[in-house]
Amino acid sequence: MDVGLFGQYVANGLMLGVIYAMVAVGFTLFFGVLDVIKFSHGDVLTAGAFAGLATYGGLQALGFASPAVQLLIILLVAVAAMAFLGALIAKYLVLPLRTAPPLNTLLLTLMLGAALRECVRLFYPQGANPKPFPRLLPQDAVALGSFTLRLDNVLLLLGGLAAIAAVHFVITRTKLGLAIRAVAQDAETARIMGIDFERVVLLTFALGSGLAALAGIMNGLYYSEINFSIGLLLGVIGFSAAVVGGLGNIYGAILGGFLFAGLQTVGAVLLPALLPQLPSAYKDVFAFAAVIAFMAWRPTGLIAEKTAERV
Amino acid sequence: MSALPGIASIAAMALYAAFFLHAESQAQVLGLVALGVIGVPVLARVGWIARAAASLEAHPLAARSASVAALAAIIALFHDQHFVMLMLASVLLYSVACLGLTVQFGYAGVVNFAGAAFLGVGGYTSAVLGPHVPHALVLLIGGLLAALVGSILILPILRTRGHYAALITVAFGILFRTFVEVNDALGGPQGLQVKGMNLFGWELNSPLRNLSFYANYVFVGLALAAAAFVLVRRLERSWVGLSLDAVRLDETAAAVFGIDVARWKILAFTCGNFFAGIAGAAYAMMTGFVAPNSFTFGDSLILVSIVLLGGLGSAWGVPLAAGIVLIVPEKLQALQEYRFLLYAMLVIVILLARPQGLIARPARQYFPK
Amino acid sequence: MSEALLSCSGLSVRFGGLVALDALDLEVRSGAILGLIGPNGSGKTTLFNVITGVYRAAGGRAQFSGQDLAGMTPQRIYAAGVTRTFQRSRLALPLSVFDNVMIGNHRRLHHGLWFNLFQRSELRREFESNLAKARALVATFSARLAGRMFDAAGAFSMIDRRRIEICRALVSAPRLLLLDEPSAGMTHEETRELMDDLLAVRSRLAGLSIVIIEHEMNVIERVCERCAVLNYGRKIAEGSYAQVAADRQVQIAYLGTE
Repeated sequence: MDVGLFGQYVANGLMLGVIYAMVAVGFTLFFGVLDVIKFSHGDVLTAGAFAGLATYGGLQALGFASPAVQLLIILLVAVAAMAFLGALIAKYLVLPLRTAPPLNTLLLTLMLGAALRECVRLFYPQGANPKPFPRLLPQDAVALGSFTLRLDNVLLLLGGLAAIAAVHFVITRTKLGLAIRAVAQDAETARIMGIDFERVVLLTFALGSGLAALAGIMNGLYYSEINFSIGLLLGVIGFSAAVVGGLGNIYGAILGGFLFAGLQTVGAVLLPALLPQLPSAYKDVFAFAAVIAFMAWRPTGLIAEKTAERV
Repeated sequence: MSALPGIASIAAMALYAAFFLHAESQAQVLGLVALGVIGVPVLARVGWIARAAASLEAHPLAARSASVAALAAIIALFHDQHFVMLMLASVLLYSVACLGLTVQFGYAGVVNFAGAAFLGVGGYTSAVLGPHVPHALVLLIGGLLAALVGSILILPILRTRGHYAALITVAFGILFRTFVEVNDALGGPQGLQVKGMNLFGWELNSPLRNLSFYANYVFVGLALAAAAFVLVRRLERSWVGLSLDAVRLDETAAAVFGIDVARWKILAFTCGNFFAGIAGAAYAMMTGFVAPNSFTFGDSLILVSIVLLGGLGSAWGVPLAAGIVLIVPEKLQALQEYRFLLYAMLVIVILLARPQGLIARPARQYFPK
Repeated sequence: MSEALLSCSGLSVRFGGLVALDALDLEVRSGAILGLIGPNGSGKTTLFNVITGVYRAAGGRAQFSGQDLAGMTPQRIYAAGVTRTFQRSRLALPLSVFDNVMIGNHRRLHHGLWFNLFQRSELRREFESNLAKARALVATFSARLAGRMFDAAGAFSMIDRRRIEICRALVSAPRLLLLDEPSAGMTHEETRELMDDLLAVRSRLAGLSIVIIEHEMNVIERVCERCAVLNYGRKIAEGSYAQVAADRQVQIAYLGTE
């Protein structure tokens, strides 16, 4: 394979990895804080992307011209809107079900995701069709031999990594992050120590959902297109990544995100090489099969979840 | 505990169903839905649902006879209407699959978010083997294949807990759908046509007298559902059911008292998938085709929702919930577009307001007097 | 003189760097009642967990009835005749009293799928005989409880649940019963009653050995022929209650030095 194609795969893989990592971090945050898998997370991503798109439409109508300004406003609106939505979901749907069997919360969030998806499909003008996403990043590209390095890809990659780094900073260096980690480790003791449990949970959900919105916008910028069902697959992949990395562990989530992207890329490269007739869609089959096999080998992920069962 | 509340409730539901199926205008349909939405919580509050459920539990023979009679009445009423007969048969076949799922996570606690995939295995078996193999055997093979395919997941499922295990089935569901979609030998995205069922010479696609031909499938569906129901009830009312419950509620305690956790999980998972495979095989023969789009993650969610809506672990709740989930959206034509949204919201409301489902699982009675 | 039913020699359990059991030597003879006491965190429950196969020993040996317990699954250990209760009650609360007790009776029930699905009249006979047995057992602890065999376990008080849990551990006629703080939360009266009932059952089960973890010293004094004291995973004393209570090391362990 020539360098150009290889470079293409790597760039694509990294991009996917960053997006998956961002989604995975959200999952792992929610799980850490509430022991809950919020399956609607992927669809919050979709909603964020569409919120951004709608904002763009509004900005166009208002006559804003500068792409940089547009991008900034879109990001702010989408992230804020999704952060708010995330907090609402936590307060009214997830927290009340804390004492119920986990299957109920699982199902609730799955249904919530479906509801979000349907809302976008039904209520956004022509929501059922793929919608073009504005190209707000500089479109320049640099030719490195047979490989074209797109500037916007680099910006997205850096942006994503910066976002993850920012979340990491919040978690490890701020008081909020400390509170989040305290609640994740032992909610009861955290409360006794004076931490406002509900507030921490709401903020955690807001943080994770905001991150998802960012991932959604990035997804749109990368593919120049969004549709109402991107959240479903991204959600499952993000969840897989979080699980593979070890639920509750942020580093694990990041690692898992890139690992899954790597699996998909390897699948996309290897399978046609080994079995030329095999359609490229098999790369997803390959990746998920690998995840299942991995879970058989390491049931609690790469960086094991720290649970203590008192016997 | 008298058998009367149970029989009365079955009669009432049959009456309601008859009105519902008969309703023509959207106003009528909405009115009946409203009646149900308001009526059910009221009945639950005054304890009538619990009484009826206890009555059904205490008098299995009476309850089952009443249900068959009620079903016969509905068949008689709507005997020539394709739509109604198709709906009835679907409810019965979905009940078979969901009874399987009940064993998996209602009893053993093994969550399965790939139920639709196992229906799909059965369906594709019908498509491929239907022209060559006697159909009674095809149904059986469909079930066995589904159980076999499911066994691939056994090792990871045994080694994982809770949401990890759930993830595995979710991933598998997606994997299955992608697999059949890219596989041209299995018809690719278009799927395959499936020959109508032919049991020992009885061609089900040709109508009996002036009945809709779907009524034939109702009969087969009833036979399958009845068999599944009896088996699942016996399973629950036995030491096996006890072991499954013990595994679900506390694995460590179960192990310490000699219960082979792995064995029971494997049994429950395999058995459930077997039911789903048979149901899928029959369903495919009835509708005449299989396609990847029928076995998406969303469809698996519908199966899980039926089990939860009916009441986790409650066998009587399964056909009831299947009826609601499958029939109500079909009748609300004005809301066709919105049906998945409304349906998702309904499940959310149920989970928040009445998580134990419509019929809370009653305490185990090994041998009702 | 009866030989050792359970013998541990040099038994060690480690959790990472933490040594929970430190080269423990302990013997329980057939038919004996041994008290196990010591401050919190001294390894008593850990010992129970190792014996029942929930934890794995890092070193040393544990033998039950001549069989090496190392590597035995909890299921096999149960089949050999070892049962227990838990410090924090582990009952299946949604299930009935009868169901919970029957969970403990696993090895005496038929679990074949064919038997349970298709030989219903035999199953019924097994059900009825076991119901009678369970009822009789529960009745020795509480007649009131025995009249409510099919109520959910979650409907009962903690003390009743404790009784149910003990019945669960006794119903399979074990040879070694491990009780983890059975009297916790009970009044003196309830404790006395519980021990009376326990001894009554024991007299019917020849050769039943019991190891009791307790903080209630009256129980130990009254019921146990011998007791062993653990501290930081190590046995620091063994003997009759009087001997152990007078032991200087034991006093320091509980009360601290002057």
